[in-house]
Amino acid sequence: MAFDLNLLLVGTYHDWLIQGLRLSLGIAGITLVLALPLAMVVALFRLSPVAALRWLGVMFVESIRNVPLLAHMLFWYFGAPELLPDSLKRWLYAGNIEVLSATVALTLYTAAYMAEDIRSGIRGISSGQFEAGRSLGFSFLGTMRLIILPQALRVTIPPLVSQTLNLWKNTSIATIIGVGELMYQAAKVESSAFRSAEAFAFATICYLSVSLILTGLGLFYRHRFPVRSA
Amino acid sequence: MRYARFMTSFILLATLLSPLAKADQLADIKKKGEIVVGVLGTDEPNSFIDPATRKIVGYDVDLSEAIAKKLGVKLTLKQLSVAARIPELEQGRIDLLAASLTHNKEREAKIDFSLTTLVTGQRVMVRKDSGITAVSQLAGKKVLTVKGGTQEPNIRKAVPTADVVTFETSLQAFIGLQQGKGLGYVNDEVSLFNNYGKLGDAQKDYVILPQNLSIEPLALGIRKGELGLKKLVDDALRELEKSGEAEKLFFKWYGPNSKVKFDKRTFRIDSDKVDG
Repeated sequence: MAFDLNLLLVGTYHDWLIQGLRLSLGIAGITLVLALPLAMVVALFRLSPVAALRWLGVMFVESIRNVPLLAHMLFWYFGAPELLPDSLKRWLYAGNIEVLSATVALTLYTAAYMAEDIRSGIRGISSGQFEAGRSLGFSFLGTMRLIILPQALRVTIPPLVSQTLNLWKNTSIATIIGVGELMYQAAKVESSAFRSAEAFAFATICYLSVSLILTGLGLFYRHRFPVRSA
Repeated sequence: MRYARFMTSFILLATLLSPLAKADQLADIKKKGEIVVGVLGTDEPNSFIDPATRKIVGYDVDLSEAIAKKLGVKLTLKQLSVAARIPELEQGRIDLLAASLTHNKEREAKIDFSLTTLVTGQRVMVRKDSGITAVSQLAGKKVLTVKGGTQEPNIRKAVPTADVVTFETSLQAFIGLQQGKGLGYVNDEVSLFNNYGKLGDAQKDYVILPQNLSIEPLALGIRKGELGLKKLVDDALRELEKSGEAEKLFFKWYGPNSKVKFDKRTFRIDSDKVDG
């Protein structure tokens, strides 16, 4: 069987794969938008002067980071929704519970990693800056918002880009709970048409090109906004 | 340049080595003293893990056992996902497939099949409170099944507008149905009856729709062109049929005392032909 490029360019199988690519991009996009602020909050919790908040931050990061994403997916799909009251459950199940569960799992998982990157970015800013802010009368949050975070952002962007890359590739795990993303559609083409090489070549090229674009954006940012030495 | 040369020599090497991989498989099996058979292990009663012994048992396993005995070699089972079955066989990581495998014309282009070992329909289980009584009513509804088998294409053919969601194992699809994540669950009849048998008191809430999506002849899968192995497998199956052992095995796994509860056997193991 020769490689049938046409199969990837027109027809039902093409439509399935494009549909999968769209959904993968959508899930990655929404997850990124949700995970970033959550990660910021968790990072601040971990650096907070209040011990209880620090503990909450540690618990969040460690409990999520130390369990495989696959287990998170299965839990948020088969486990967690079953604990909800019946009427809410029925409403959820009538919608696209697969995509919802996958997004929740990915958001928490990505946020745990991003929180650690943001925290180390903040810690990378000399503590003298923080002390200067506080001694000039800024509050903890004020010092963070006006003095530390703008500087930390430049340090943090490269690791965050790499977490976004991971997020993009991790969307493929959602195939396990029946989400019709790119890998799922590739498997569907494989079992309907026996065209494994074509289907997975398409998926690989999609993952690779989106990843390379993200890496390119990261490089551009680093070039345009280099880390300033204090 | 260096890279291109590396790739060329790599491809050359691969081409040179590939004829070695195509040596007679039957001879290899005998030399190894072992036949590796791919099974699902998640599809009761064809192959599943017996909770008491933690061993994989079932109709597919008993057939494999009989073939290993005929060959005079040790049987090693390898658990596979539904979607991995044909690729694993093609790449020679297993010698034989005994994994609830449907024999159809499309697949004949990729692998060879033994005599048909079981004929089963494919049907849909629904919850009674969904009010669904015919397959056609599943139009636009969410239907759950296993990934990589014939179930998905068959339900799509029967109900093109159904929203089909697939999982790695049929058990996950069945749990999805029980949790209400879909309105229908598609599988081979024997597996559906088995799942139904396991529901216990909850049986009153579920019904298996009478309409067959398709008739599925199941067979063992053999790598394309391994005629020696195919002949031996077919001979072993014919002997089982002749001695009455095949009938006994059928009733052991699908008979009135099993969860499937078939009271008669409507096929014989005597042909490796399927309809288009």
